Amino acid sequence: MKLEIAHLFPDLLNLYGDRGNIRCMVMRLKWRGIDANVTEYRLNDPIDFGGTDIILLGGGSDREQQLVCERLQKTREDFSRYAEDGGTVLAVCGGYQLMGHYYETKDGHMEGLSLLDLYTVQDSPRLTGNIILKNESLPYEIVGFENHGGRTHLGNVTPFGSVLYGFGNNGKDGREGAMYKNIIGTYLHGPLLPKNPHVCDLLLAKALDRKYGISGLSPLDDETERKANRYIVDRFL
Amino acid sequence: MRTSIQRSITEKLRDAIAVDAAKAAAAGSRLAGNQGTSLPGKTAMAVSPDILAPLAGQVRRKIIAVCGTNGKTTTNNILCTMLEAEGRKVVCNRLGSNMPAGIASAFINAAHPGGHLDADYACLEVDEASARLVFSHVKPDYLILTNLFRDQLDRYGEIDITMDLLKTAIRMVPEMKLIINADDPLSVSLAEETGNPFVCYGINTPAGHAIEETLRTGEVREGRFCRKCGALLQYDFYQYGQMGKYRCPVCGFKRPDPVYAASDVVLSEKLHFLAEGLPVETDLKGLYSVYNLLAVWSFLREEGCRLLFPDADNAVITGAGPRIRPDTTRFNEILSHYHAQFGRNETFCIDGRDVVLNLAKNPTGFNQNIEAMLEDSRPKRLVIVINDNSADGKDVSWLWDVDFDRIRDQSIRAVTVSGIRALDMCLRLKYDGIEADLADTPEAAIEKHLREGSEKLYVLVNYTALFSIHQYLQERTRK
Repeated sequence: MKLEIAHLFPDLLNLYGDRGNIRCMVMRLKWRGIDANVTEYRLNDPIDFGGTDIILLGGGSDREQQLVCERLQKTREDFSRYAEDGGTVLAVCGGYQLMGHYYETKDGHMEGLSLLDLYTVQDSPRLTGNIILKNESLPYEIVGFENHGGRTHLGNVTPFGSVLYGFGNNGKDGREGAMYKNIIGTYLHGPLLPKNPHVCDLLLAKALDRKYGISGLSPLDDETERKANRYIVDRFL
Repeated sequence: MRTSIQRSITEKLRDAIAVDAAKAAAAGSRLAGNQGTSLPGKTAMAVSPDILAPLAGQVRRKIIAVCGTNGKTTTNNILCTMLEAEGRKVVCNRLGSNMPAGIASAFINAAHPGGHLDADYACLEVDEASARLVFSHVKPDYLILTNLFRDQLDRYGEIDITMDLLKTAIRMVPEMKLIINADDPLSVSLAEETGNPFVCYGINTPAGHAIEETLRTGEVREGRFCRKCGALLQYDFYQYGQMGKYRCPVCGFKRPDPVYAASDVVLSEKLHFLAEGLPVETDLKGLYSVYNLLAVWSFLREEGCRLLFPDADNAVITGAGPRIRPDTTRFNEILSHYHAQFGRNETFCIDGRDVVLNLAKNPTGFNQNIEAMLEDSRPKRLVIVINDNSADGKDVSWLWDVDFDRIRDQSIRAVTVSGIRALDMCLRLKYDGIEADLADTPEAAIEKHLREGSEKLYVLVNYTALFSIHQYLQERTRK
């Protein structure tokens, strides 16, 4: 078995340890005897959506996000077909904002892919700090770090979690991120997956199910992961 | 002679009280066993908020500010050492306390009671985000910018924000000359954007195995896009990070030819290179040391310091193309006596064993420290301490941008992690296939390794862990 992971535009979107999310997925597959191949797509490379099982779209500064926005518009139909077909996507920070309808900054308007029913408006101050979420379908809390100027407002879409500590989508409505089909969009980096192996495994399970029709993953020794996660929960809650 | 600051009698009196109160506070704090690197400054600024201006105004020759993500403290301290070896009196914030209060402390420690200062130069390490506050009181003649890398994201948002803060600060002193690393496209664009006069240093030949290494690891590069037009920069070669020989294929922005250039770098037990074609040799480690030394070299050349021209009479010896060539004999001699300061590759001898303390506070710094450690192929042990206090950056995501797989080297016998974020660090290593054990305190981690083996021990720490561990290692050396 082998999963194909597409890391989109790491030459532009490389803030906040996105490499950690990739590393986490690869290792957790490897430890289960499943191969993984990571393809790094540069800005103008043609993307092989048909041969991809998991897409990671990370965060960048506003300047770099603008370039990515223009590029993504050209993939609009292919990306949408991939997502509607149950393709797995993890979109973090800037990548998350571009999954929505638009991102309005003080300098302009970035059109998103409208895969998630949400929009984002830039404001100050930046919402920065440790963050803890609860997602009722997951066995324990999700922890991470957020750092975003954008305030995201959800339409008809499920949040990734409810905020137990920190700001979340907009610092007001107690919700963080968004999920639709097999897309997870979130502001959590830190990076997200290593300290939240349940989220990593959720993504891997979705991708394996779609590709091979297998459900369920063999358990791993997550003691270190659980301790690192628990430390944040105990410290801030 | 610098223009002195006009102060009224009342202001002068207040300044004198401020300095004396600060000195008393420092003495009290030392009695209580504290380092107190910023306390005198805080005390003085409480009495006289603009105390820095009249103190800095008394510096006879030049004030040099040193900014940049990595290498500030080392560069500033070596510069100070060189100027002192010239027989000059120098004010210097040696311990790297680089916010306004720390800088005020350095002046107060150097001043006589009553506020009189006897100094030829001031070498000031300045925090990039605080530069605006410092430059509103102190107008440096030179600013050395070492480099610009990603650092402490949650404090400043992004590197763009740091650059904007620094640009604003530099423009407050339009006559200040910048000494810039030509190999760093971010530093060069910043210099061009400020409109200040600037002069460049750089390394003209690719050094070590940097090229394959950086391509393989995909090391995070901040400056890969042209700041002027947004195009992807093209490189003839990389040194590390975004440093190298670059050019923009679209708008023509490119690495300027450095006035003060190094070449023929050899990284081994000793570090060798040529500065303007002249041999430099040092025990300092790592390619970054070449840049730090070149920055110092550039100032000494700009200033026409005698130590580079031992035989010259008062010929014109400043700037590029002097009438006579400099001589590095004295430069190398001073370097050979230079001891790394305060956690910058600082070596302690404990129970007959070498313990090396190094500050590593961002991915580039960490990668460079790992490289420097592996230049020494003998067996070794490693302690890593990671905190997340606000001076460290509360966000520890950057740990995932460090190439820790490099420490899966067979010369490294055992790794222990500690600090507030020890669990994050442990997890980080797990995903590079490295087993590490946890220690409750950094001291316990160090003791464990001293007990268990006789190999050299490397201690890599981030910022707030540095002070207490440094103190501990000093006390342990004395025992």
